Amino acid sequence: MAYIRDEDKKYLKGEFEKNLKDEVKLLVFTGDNCQYCGVASAIAAEIAELNSLIKFEEQRIDEDLARKYGLSHAPTVVITDGEKYQGRIRYVGLPSGYEFSSLVEDIMDVSKRSAEVSPEVLEKLMRIDKPVIIQVFVTPTCPYCPGAVRTAHRFAILNENITGEMVEAIEFPEWANKWNVMSVPHIVINEDIQFIGAYPDEQYIDYVLQAYEKMR
Amino acid sequence: MNFGFVLPTAGKESKEVDVLIIGGGPAGLSAGIYATRAGLSAMIVDKGNAGGLAEEAPFVENYLGFKGIKGEDLVKAFKEHAMEYLEISERNEVREIIKDGENYMVKTERGEYKTKGIIFATGTTHKKLNVPGENEFLGKGVSYCVTCDGYFFRGKKVAVIGGGNSGAIAAIYLKDIGVEPVVLEYMPRYMCEKAYQKIIQERDIPYYTNVEVRAIEGKDKVEKIVYLERNSGERKEMNVDGVFIYVGLIPISELARKLGVETDDKGYIKVDLSMRTNVPRVYAAGDVTGYAGQIIIAAGQGAMAALSAYEDIMLR
Repeated sequence: MAYIRDEDKKYLKGEFEKNLKDEVKLLVFTGDNCQYCGVASAIAAEIAELNSLIKFEEQRIDEDLARKYGLSHAPTVVITDGEKYQGRIRYVGLPSGYEFSSLVEDIMDVSKRSAEVSPEVLEKLMRIDKPVIIQVFVTPTCPYCPGAVRTAHRFAILNENITGEMVEAIEFPEWANKWNVMSVPHIVINEDIQFIGAYPDEQYIDYVLQAYEKMR
Repeated sequence: MNFGFVLPTAGKESKEVDVLIIGGGPAGLSAGIYATRAGLSAMIVDKGNAGGLAEEAPFVENYLGFKGIKGEDLVKAFKEHAMEYLEISERNEVREIIKDGENYMVKTERGEYKTKGIIFATGTTHKKLNVPGENEFLGKGVSYCVTCDGYFFRGKKVAVIGGGNSGAIAAIYLKDIGVEPVVLEYMPRYMCEKAYQKIIQERDIPYYTNVEVRAIEGKDKVEKIVYLERNSGERKEMNVDGVFIYVGLIPISELARKLGVETDDKGYIKVDLSMRTNVPRVYAAGDVTGYAGQIIIAAGQGAMAALSAYEDIMLR
């Protein structure tokens, strides 16, 4: 059974045709007793069929590459060039519903090896010279969440010290409970600074800087 | 599992158009289709995802041609239809609009658009209840979006404050996903459509009327609400794990006001029957005009606004 509708595939094919530049790897890390791993792989495979620059690979969550990228939950979907971006642009849990659009936009940005932010935000972003991880808890039915996920991912594309990680809160309730997630998007930076809501880049980067300053 | 995939839209360059539509809800999308078909070059910019508040509607049962459809799916169909005609630039917030002779320069997060006309389809946002505890417990049990946050309360009891259509739909949705909602309505009667009233009664969802919620309380997260029974004046408490607030909407009309567009005392943009505002070639459509808050009316107003823009820009 196909997960992506034919008319959506047609549209995506056109968009990929217009927007892809270099090769993009779509890595799906799977594990045992994983309810959504099969679906995650199937969706990634369907996307990869739409353009030859998109390469789908299935990996194991308990093997070396996952350890190298610091992954521990399956399924995790990583969008990467295999070098610069490593495993820093990722989705833990299924990127379904509204997050599917985030995934598609990420593929395009990673393929272009760039993302858009304003010069003021870029200047602040480039101050970060130590590892920062931004985790964005979402639900697939939240229309405000992709904004928060994409900001984390755009920051990760532009700065090699940043990791942007979407976490599907319904799939990982214990993880969500750890941070008392009751409204999404709920953003946790460096397992320390938290905020709730879809903020513009200008405010978002200030939270990231706040977490960074605390490390220094 | 829900595979209502939502597709992204591209569009990042600055350009010149006949009419710029601000807001990609039903009004803006409909305006886009009508404007482009009429022969105007148009584009839509939206600060978030196109779709507007309709996207949050768990279920829509009064849009012509659909006996029942998820707001998300209806909006997706609108969006795909509009994308056949024009560019929709999402997550591209308008920062400033400058009058430039006969034209307008619209500066956004991602570009600058020179346009002859503007359609404000900026919609509304959720109104706050303004009681103690509301801000304090935001994200700790207080929410304004059931489709976003409803799942976190499965198996738990929550208060839905406001028993109008939005509150009623929210309560029905919550019940459907396994939450125990209780509706609290300020007025002494059901404030939602009869159709929703019937579902609420059939599903045994408690609907309290004539009550005024005074406070949301708890320690680290929401534990209870305090309310007044307006008849008796008696103060009561109810233990709940969550509070969903649906007490009405406020218009997003500040950008329009800065441009000299007249609004009423609540901030809704004043329009005539052809959706023209007091400022030449500036129109408004949808919820920001204060009419009804219905998807079908927003779509109709969007069409009207586009046709007026066509008259003013192409036929003058």
